[in-house]
Amino acid sequence: MLGFIVRRILTAILVVFLTSIFVFVLLYKGVANPAGPVCDAQGRCTAERLAAIEASMGLNDPILQQYGEFAGGVFTGRTVSFGETEYDCPAPCLGVSYGTRGLITDELVDRLPATISLAVGASIIYLVVGVTLGVLAAKKRGTATDRVLVSSSLVVSSIPYYLFCLLAYIFLVLKYPVFDETGYLPITEGVGAFFLAMLLPWLVLGLFSSSNYARFTRGQMVETLGEDYIRTASAKGVSGNKVVFGHALRAAIVPIVTIFGLDFAALLGGTIFTEQIFRIDGIGLWALDAVTRPPLDFPVVIATVLVVAVIITIANLVVDIVYGFLDPRVRIS
Amino acid sequence: MTLQPGLEPGVVAEREDASRENDPQSSKKLASKSPTQIALQRLRKDKVAVVCGSILLLLIVLALAAPLITRAMGIFPEINSPGAGNLGADLDQFGYPEIGPPYYGFTWEHPLGIAPSRGVDNLANLLYGLRTSLLVATLATIISTFVGITIGLMAGFSRGWLDRFLSFVIDLFLSFPFLLGALTLAPILTSRFSTDLDALDRAQLLGLVAVLVIFGWMSLARLIRGQVLSLREREFVQSAQVIGVPTRRILFKELLPNMVAPIVVATSLSLPAYVAAEAGLSYLGIGLTGQPSLGQTILLATEYYSTYGLYLWVPVGVVAVLVLALNLLGDSVRDAFDPRTRR
Repeated sequence: MLGFIVRRILTAILVVFLTSIFVFVLLYKGVANPAGPVCDAQGRCTAERLAAIEASMGLNDPILQQYGEFAGGVFTGRTVSFGETEYDCPAPCLGVSYGTRGLITDELVDRLPATISLAVGASIIYLVVGVTLGVLAAKKRGTATDRVLVSSSLVVSSIPYYLFCLLAYIFLVLKYPVFDETGYLPITEGVGAFFLAMLLPWLVLGLFSSSNYARFTRGQMVETLGEDYIRTASAKGVSGNKVVFGHALRAAIVPIVTIFGLDFAALLGGTIFTEQIFRIDGIGLWALDAVTRPPLDFPVVIATVLVVAVIITIANLVVDIVYGFLDPRVRIS
Repeated sequence: MTLQPGLEPGVVAEREDASRENDPQSSKKLASKSPTQIALQRLRKDKVAVVCGSILLLLIVLALAAPLITRAMGIFPEINSPGAGNLGADLDQFGYPEIGPPYYGFTWEHPLGIAPSRGVDNLANLLYGLRTSLLVATLATIISTFVGITIGLMAGFSRGWLDRFLSFVIDLFLSFPFLLGALTLAPILTSRFSTDLDALDRAQLLGLVAVLVIFGWMSLARLIRGQVLSLREREFVQSAQVIGVPTRRILFKELLPNMVAPIVVATSLSLPAYVAAEAGLSYLGIGLTGQPSLGQTILLATEYYSTYGLYLWVPVGVVAVLVLALNLLGDSVRDAFDPRTRR
């Protein structure tokens, strides 16, 4: 088991490393004029100024050397210079934003709580609602309840998420202000206000995603409920609910936990639509604004990709390890 | 649920069909039908599939005929279209249209009104948006199916390091969020082609297809790989290998025909995903910007939801109906090819 974990951690580090190199090279070599946004942000951009800024940013160095400086900065800190101005960037240094000239690490720490609370709240909702509905549908398999649940979940998950989210926003916030203020308020400004503001984004994201879980859980449960040991348990006289939740769900939950881990990680990187529509200042909106609003903010994009890659690899790792504990039949060797 | 050993899925399906329909004539006919024909026959009987198929057919015809319709009606999707010089004339001082529904009654000149402040005709914009959307999704589906099949066959048939490497790449791409990848690739195209607007439009379209393919080929590749892993141990493959059939022939003539069902199912389910993704990226502003696109129209129209609702609700409705119909049709196709999924 220990060997397996060590091997997985090494692979995870390799994946993060590869992703960071890939994104770095892609952006700095792919974009026509990487120093342009910095130069434009400082007023009129002349050819000499552009050349000076390029030189000071080290853009004339070989790309691997630039990456080396960037990666070294993550561990030891470095000085970032744009033309005449220099910024001191201490240890976990991810660079300096072209737009705000703030430290990326600080801005990231500012925005991460919004995304994490959105993802955590929504995932609790979709896990609970999805699994409950799935178990219910499997228990009543073949009845009208089952058919309604399955077909409505099919229809919900067939609509693009952003339309669902946009409709909820327009009708529940703008037109009929059921939820008057949505967005992210730091929890220090009051627990109640925080919950009220996040309730609609949580519900929208959670209920939409729950439809997939409902169908998945139903499929797993239908399969498990057909097993011999379930019949044995019922024959012994174990009560209906105990069979369903104690025996069947216990076995069916393993693959559900697996996809939950992966979905949660994807959610942390993919809440862009929710953040954009509800104007929640999380990392998704941060990256989107970095790309769509001038100046084009490379360090923000690279930092977001890196953070998301780290989160996803950690989630994969945790899922693999939890898998072994949840299902005694799986012993990873 | 358990597949009988040694029987192809199609054969099981045939038996189920034959036993279900107690019509002796049809079971006699079934003997000469391929699994694909059986699936198509089943699809024709599926009401949901027929309804969704008809809606799609209508939308596809509308998209294909967009230039004809717009020319016949004299409406234009863009300000700078030739012959559309007086577009701003129908807008009042606040940028709202002074003609057409919903406030000035229906007119054949602009059946769905005019876009506020931009002055372009909504119907023309919608038809051309539909056209782009279907074009992007179709191109992405074809290319990603091709890439997925090739890589899946390669990974599944080659034992050893190549399989391990390809599986690693598949897992790597699968775990990376699509939106974030698209976000990273978007500025590259914009910065490369921003000087020439025509080239930018084309580059954005192709770049969008590329992004969709880059993040869309993996699931089919993994599916094909799994199929190949089980099929290559079968007797017919082994005997082909023994008598010296070249590998390429084994892959394309022996293995591929056995995987028609999963490929068709995966393709029909990836089409709606691509349509939704295209509109979604354009909605975020990192897809298409300079040409008609449903997602971009939704983004522009959101701020007019209360003052000019028609502008927003028509593209929202079209995207929803298009994706819903494609998804339900895809589900029906899956059920038709593999009746065991419907429980």
